[in-house]
Amino acid sequence: MATSVINTYSDPSLPEWMSAPHSTGTSIMACEFDGGVVIGADSRTTTGAYIANRVTDKLTKITDQIYCCRSGSAADTQAIADIVTYHLNFHKMELGDPPLVETAAAIFRELCYNYRDSLMAGILVAGWDKKKGAQIYSIPIGGMVQRQAVSIGGSGSSYVYGYVDANFKPNMTKEEAKKFVTDTLTLAILRDGSSGGVVRLGVITEAGVERSVILGDQLPKFYEG
Amino acid sequence: MSILAYNGGAVVAMKGQDCVAIATDKRFGIQAQTVSTNFPKVFQMGPTLYVGLPGLATDTQTVFQRLKFRMNLYELKENRMMRPKTFSAMLSNLLYERRFGPYFIEPVIAGLDPYDNQPYVCNMDLIGCPNEPEDFVVSGTCSEQLYGMCEALWEPNLKPDELFETISQALVNAADRDAISGWGAVVYIIEKDKITEKHVKTRMD
Repeated sequence: MATSVINTYSDPSLPEWMSAPHSTGTSIMACEFDGGVVIGADSRTTTGAYIANRVTDKLTKITDQIYCCRSGSAADTQAIADIVTYHLNFHKMELGDPPLVETAAAIFRELCYNYRDSLMAGILVAGWDKKKGAQIYSIPIGGMVQRQAVSIGGSGSSYVYGYVDANFKPNMTKEEAKKFVTDTLTLAILRDGSSGGVVRLGVITEAGVERSVILGDQLPKFYEG
Repeated sequence: MSILAYNGGAVVAMKGQDCVAIATDKRFGIQAQTVSTNFPKVFQMGPTLYVGLPGLATDTQTVFQRLKFRMNLYELKENRMMRPKTFSAMLSNLLYERRFGPYFIEPVIAGLDPYDNQPYVCNMDLIGCPNEPEDFVVSGTCSEQLYGMCEALWEPNLKPDELFETISQALVNAADRDAISGWGAVVYIIEKDKITEKHVKTRMD
């Protein structure tokens, strides 16, 4: 009996996006302010040039007061975040206290460094703990860890390094920091084809987390050529 | 990445009742980076004849220039306006001349015949194979999305203002699902005695 099979992965007559891996070509950011940290991300997931999801949530909860911003391969970062959440859940029970942000960063690092040849993941770990307050740990591709007061990541970040360097100030208020993150991500979205949709924000403080969304038409207006 | 997807872009054209419409996005990018938001890919070739040239941006410019050259010579020699079907044949010839080293353009033509005012749309592949349907034509990096939108929204005998709504929604919603199209749009409604050019406000992401 003859059966015909279409191999969606190698058939050249099919559009390229049907075989392209899901990636979060992305703009992500985290910024310390006086009393906490603001995290932000766009909401676009692409397979090739096709926008597979235009309302993605790239700000993923690890614990009540530790979040991560995901960029790179969607599958890899989701899998890593799930594993880290599992480990920290267990650790929290043994410890009897909320886990430290540096612990979360260390577990992310173990995975991202030891499996560096198989993974494509750029992650920002951000949160608040009793020992060191607000912290951001940047874990780019390859698996190094670097604590920073402000950090950007994803394909869209290339366009806003100058803007961030020129406009970041330590010890901003919560509202200033939210505006700074929103403005930066808007500029990145404007230039990067792989970023877009809405801007999702999170504010992590001693009191907990507040999430918000800024829809496309409510984003700040910049020069659009 | 495909060469036709290096710069990105989208064009669509539709027939209406005694009118045609053609629309383009305005993005010019280099792979994922957006360089300009003022690069429309539709050009006016005659009083009621427009051509859209999505694809590799350098070829958009070159094919437009070469097309204008050939059309000017035709109109000087023949001393009359070129008809859309003839323009289509000329563009097809221009592209096939480069059969084994083609221009990376998949053009879209929209116009009203200057003598009998019949609406005309046409699209071609990059080596000049023409397609002259009765409804709409699409081209660009979100052509699959455009086919879906047009198939769902188009109906025959749309009046000019209805056609404007239909073609705008088709282009905007298709481009919103494409990472390398969009960043502004221009729509032209072509009627017997007037052309309306509207710049549509779109998402800039």
